Amino acid sequence: MLERKLIFVSGKGGVGKSAVAASLAIVAARRGLRVLAIGMVDGLGLAEHFATEKLAYAPRGVRPGIDALAVYREEALDEYLRLQLHVPRAAPTKVLTRALNVLAETAPGIREIVTIGKPIYELWKGGYDLVLVDAPPLGQLFSYLRAPSAIADLVPAGPIQKQANHMRDSIADATTTSLVLVTTPEELPVLETMETLDRLDVEPVVGLETLVVNRLLEPLEVPKNVLATLPAGPHSAAAHHHLATHSQQQRWLDALPPSPQLPYLFGLHTAGEVAEQLGDVWDEII
Amino acid sequence: MSTKVVVITGGGGVGKTTLSAALAVGAARRNLQTCVVTVDPAKRLADALGVETLGNHPTAVANQPGLWAAMLDVSASWEAMVHRHAAPEVAERLLADPFFRTLADRFPAAQSYAAGEQMAEHIESRRWDLLVVDTPPAGGGIDFYAAPGRMREFIGGRLLRWLTGASIPGRRAIYKVTARPALKLADTVLGGPLLEEVADFLMDLRSLHDGISHRAAAIELHLRRATPIVVTTAYPTPMREARRFFEDLPEKAGKSDTVVFNKQLPATWTDSAALRGAEIEAPIRTALRDNLTRWAAEVRRQHDIKQQFAARHELHMIEVPWAESAPTSVDALAGLLASAPELEEHLPA
Repeated sequence: MLERKLIFVSGKGGVGKSAVAASLAIVAARRGLRVLAIGMVDGLGLAEHFATEKLAYAPRGVRPGIDALAVYREEALDEYLRLQLHVPRAAPTKVLTRALNVLAETAPGIREIVTIGKPIYELWKGGYDLVLVDAPPLGQLFSYLRAPSAIADLVPAGPIQKQANHMRDSIADATTTSLVLVTTPEELPVLETMETLDRLDVEPVVGLETLVVNRLLEPLEVPKNVLATLPAGPHSAAAHHHLATHSQQQRWLDALPPSPQLPYLFGLHTAGEVAEQLGDVWDEII
Repeated sequence: MSTKVVVITGGGGVGKTTLSAALAVGAARRNLQTCVVTVDPAKRLADALGVETLGNHPTAVANQPGLWAAMLDVSASWEAMVHRHAAPEVAERLLADPFFRTLADRFPAAQSYAAGEQMAEHIESRRWDLLVVDTPPAGGGIDFYAAPGRMREFIGGRLLRWLTGASIPGRRAIYKVTARPALKLADTVLGGPLLEEVADFLMDLRSLHDGISHRAAAIELHLRRATPIVVTTAYPTPMREARRFFEDLPEKAGKSDTVVFNKQLPATWTDSAALRGAEIEAPIRTALRDNLTRWAAEVRRQHDIKQQFAARHELHMIEVPWAESAPTSVDALAGLLASAPELEEHLPA
């Protein structure tokens, strides 16, 4: 997995996508890779898991071997105009940026291409071994991944179209770029993940690296008949809770193809501890 | 009939829809004419209430007298909104415009704004004692409150005014002269007359300004008068979203001094009670003890972050216990509400 240059990590909101992204960055850095972690929506999740303050648009070292940044649209738009479209410095970019800001709210794909442009731009620059992206949640994922081809269809031949085609090819190139889909073994996340897998079959905009099942409970070796005879109390209640949740989880797990599994982490107080421990688990899996 | 409004907000997956339904069942059982409006996923609510399908128009819930349910149909509300605020020929043109479709799909405030317009209509129909509104999960529910302002700002804002001139132009009006060089430059970069095309559309959009800003003000007033109930679970993502509500929304929302933690484990699991029952075999005994130790640690973690959260924002905390399965009947919904009596106190008398 860590052979790719650009990895997008997505999943339904709340399944622990930022934790998984941060933990992958940690394990990659432990193996000596120089990693850039990018929060594509706001970077809040990544910042928590790296136990650091709000991320800026400029990369900042957050741990040994890991730089992190968050994509903010206005700065991304400015960078897109200057560096990707080569709008000359002398041009009244402020005026242009204002006009494009209106357009970004309305024209299909402008906001998305500017946002997804950042990780791809960092890939092209090649300053890191791995660019790891905490991507938007599943509901919005395709509108970002498809933005370059949507734009290429929308605009006539010109610098934007050329750039958009180039971006589309970079996302689709499975030797450099892939998608990690995180889910928890629960109804809504699994159903949404399966929809996404179907959609990827029809629209292979990006190669799927792997699914990851997060927060999986281990089995509890307490037979049902013993549980039934236990006196009421916290032992029995916690065992009942565990067994009930575990059996629901197994049902949803069975609906998914075999995938790497990350454990439910009990009682960890900070997001930093979670990312660190998941990093240990990855060390054994990868 | 004056309608009380309860707005349930929070991030995705915290159980907003189920709690909205439970509150609505509780209200109907107190003889309040109640309507619950949901967004997504409507199918679960429909199942729980035993209703076949839900649409923009309220459907009577068969097993519960006094209870109606409706779903927000975003695209239908959006079209209704255009017809309400635009001249007929402009409405037709807008609805056929691909950019307008995109705006409806993508502009984050658009869907939430459409939901707000629908809420206002339910309130103004004066049919209900209580309206329970389950909000779209975007932005942890915060978008719902911010949407009227953002919509007004977008349509009447500086950028559009700057492009289209101060007064509302007629059909195919030309741009303000000062905007022209920038547009020309933008078109050179974009590789064609894209911005010109969009600008025609923006002009049409601007003609909605008066209607929408008037309506947006009415929606904002309804929102300030409504009772917000913020729902979360004790996990980082939904709590981050709940935090946004308390930090970013002081004046747009009605005051809330309460946060609801859903799917909570019993605090009693923290005690280290002895495991009675001498006949239990040693390995099973160990497994039971270890299991309780793990869950007790989790209960402690959840307790600590809940306390921290409540203290930081000076909130009263209501906990709804974890339930093994999602409610699939009106009675089960009433049972869920009964498990958190404090929540019921949030219903108007």
